[in-house]
Amino acid sequence: MAKSWCIFFIFWPTLALAVCWMAPAWGWWFPGDAASTLGARIDDLFYLILIIVSVVFVGTHVGLAYVLWRGSSFNEPKALFTHGSHNLEVIWTIVPSGILLFIALYQMDVWADYRVQSAFPPEAVRAPVAEVTARQFEWRIRYPAPGKTLQLTPQPDDLYTVNDLHIPVGRPVMIQLRSDDVQHSFFVPMLRVKQDAVPGLVIPIWFDSVRSDTYELLCAELCGWGHYKMKARVVAQSDANFKSYLAELHREQFDDGVPSAATESSEAAETASKSE
Amino acid sequence: MTLFRLHQLLVQPKFGSAGRQVIANNFVWEVLPVRNRASFLVPAALMAVVIGCEQPQARFELTERTKDLMSPARTAVADAVEENFGTPNDLVAWLRSPTRYGDNTGHVAGGDGTVSADSFPAEFDEPVASDLSGAALRFTSGKYQGQQVPVGQFDADAGQLVLGAVLDPPVEQDTQFQVVGDVLQHGRMLYMTHCMHCHGVSGDGEGPTAQYLDPRPREYRLGIYKFTSTKQTDKASTDDLQRTVKQGIPGTYMPSFMLLKDDELAAVVEYVRFLSIRGEFEKKLVDELYGDYSTAAVNDRLESGESEDEIESQLTAYIQDDLPSTVDFASSDLASSWTNADTEAAVVVPEKSRVPDTLESRKRGRALYVSDRTKCVTCHGPKGRGNGSATNDYWKVPGSNETYDSRGLHDLWGNKLSPRDLTRGIYRGGRRPIDLYRRVYAGIKGTPMPAFGGTVLKDDEIWDLVNYVMSIPFESEQPSPGNEQLAVTVSDQPR
Repeated sequence: MAKSWCIFFIFWPTLALAVCWMAPAWGWWFPGDAASTLGARIDDLFYLILIIVSVVFVGTHVGLAYVLWRGSSFNEPKALFTHGSHNLEVIWTIVPSGILLFIALYQMDVWADYRVQSAFPPEAVRAPVAEVTARQFEWRIRYPAPGKTLQLTPQPDDLYTVNDLHIPVGRPVMIQLRSDDVQHSFFVPMLRVKQDAVPGLVIPIWFDSVRSDTYELLCAELCGWGHYKMKARVVAQSDANFKSYLAELHREQFDDGVPSAATESSEAAETASKSE
Repeated sequence: MTLFRLHQLLVQPKFGSAGRQVIANNFVWEVLPVRNRASFLVPAALMAVVIGCEQPQARFELTERTKDLMSPARTAVADAVEENFGTPNDLVAWLRSPTRYGDNTGHVAGGDGTVSADSFPAEFDEPVASDLSGAALRFTSGKYQGQQVPVGQFDADAGQLVLGAVLDPPVEQDTQFQVVGDVLQHGRMLYMTHCMHCHGVSGDGEGPTAQYLDPRPREYRLGIYKFTSTKQTDKASTDDLQRTVKQGIPGTYMPSFMLLKDDELAAVVEYVRFLSIRGEFEKKLVDELYGDYSTAAVNDRLESGESEDEIESQLTAYIQDDLPSTVDFASSDLASSWTNADTEAAVVVPEKSRVPDTLESRKRGRALYVSDRTKCVTCHGPKGRGNGSATNDYWKVPGSNETYDSRGLHDLWGNKLSPRDLTRGIYRGGRRPIDLYRRVYAGIKGTPMPAFGGTVLKDDEIWDLVNYVMSIPFESEQPSPGNEQLAVTVSDQPR
């Protein structure tokens, strides 16, 4: 009977381990490999911690199982009572502290690159790609006019879209995140970016996309009854495509509804810009 | 899925009368009569655990005016509307209505698939865009010609169509058929998911979340939409509605549904048009009856000496003799107005392209803005803050001599309305110059914003006005050089 209890208690951690082991194969894991350079480093940190934790978890449970198993046979001599061991206590304080200190120091680089503004890639900071304003329940996006820099306040020639953020691929980009009403959270799981949008603050965040792709942008902070609706897309595209996207947006936004004239004026603008 | 099909077996397929097709039912839990509470509750609780709680039955509500009619008139209107439009779970494709219900033709194919009593391999003339589940299938040749069955589902990869009914003997190869209603059915599913909680099941703008919103969600049943590209007297075009759904309406609770696929967008907008047309149809019938048979009218008539029997017999005669022609008239009127909105002729297109956005143009626009010809200032205020003097007036209710209870502007739906604050740079109908041009040219339907195009203002003048309005958010507090004159003319002192 005692042995079957042993097996019962050993079964659960074994099952937990097996499920974790199988999880990636069942699709209970990250939504694919990180599509950003920083995301890959965040994943590496995650795996490092996962390995440390797994070793401790397995080790502890093997130890517990051994004690349980031996204790369940009644042939053992009576156990000794000791009132603590100074050496042991020092060891199990110093070893975990060492591990925690190692993790704390080891992750600092990634954290700084992700969050500390002075460590942001300078080319991203110089020309923020867009301002993203979260509001109940959509993402409103403001790009600077082609060839201009994003200003903190709206400009007459800014370009606007909603729920559709385009970024150039393969280089770091920065956005200015704000909120129109309540707290929201800008979350692109594939790029491993998550940042709260706080009313009254303009929060810069940077990321990059290593491939041309379309990603989901979600709100990760319960923001009201329509929170579930707050879904948008991030389109990472080549520089050339991104430029032509902005040009198209510009054409569309300054459309005066006269078909022939619209094409004429854009051609005129092109010749004007060439002659400059 | 099995439950769905089992239930469908029990449904007696309805055979539509001339020009009507009943689009098949979705799965509905029938409420059983309760004899023994315990014997009901225990299995019910178990079922609730297994399948989740029952959804309240969706139904189309009648308008308040319809409910105010005397009872036989109310019933006649309700019946006519239900006959031609159905209920949310039993939509009717009335082919005289200008709704694109979705229409696919095809035939029973030979080949690998097997023909059984409730399924057969199907080949469609055009690729099928959306899910066919719940659409109505009508045979147009063979021994079942003219008969209608609901579609259970269609597996586009295997080309096998499963019916929601049993046909014994099975259909023969090469039998022609038509599947109607898939687009509307698809639209209804999307509408119930994304739109219903604000706009309501009937499109009455009274969904469960509507009470928390200001501005209120649009009520579709008047058939009027504010932000359109069409002329003042025209309906909203399908493109306008699609644009609104896709872009959302900034400054309101209408969010953007940018990520809907093209066929989803088309389907959900088609369902919105369906609800609009349904509501307008109901309104047109009620308009005919309201003058004589509303509660107030009937009381007046009783007081003036008519007897109740007289009124009722008149009403019965009206319903028998005149209502069918009213239905005819209403339907052809709706068909022409909604079809017309989708034609090129309905769209407002400027004759001249935009006047270059120069300081001179803006000054001309500003002069128009404060002029007596446009009277923009009375509502939008001297500085465009939406605080003109008219916001302090008591306005007349259109079509009557009474005034509204509260000061300020009201829209046709009876909601209080603020003139747009033009300094904020939030444009509900879109921020393109053409959007602003159309607002000025055709006005905003259902609101006191009048149409200036064609009559009051010429093209160049509208563009000047647009240039000025687009510059308002970027005006500095101090008048710009050369603009002092204007600044002195109209002061922004509080009244």
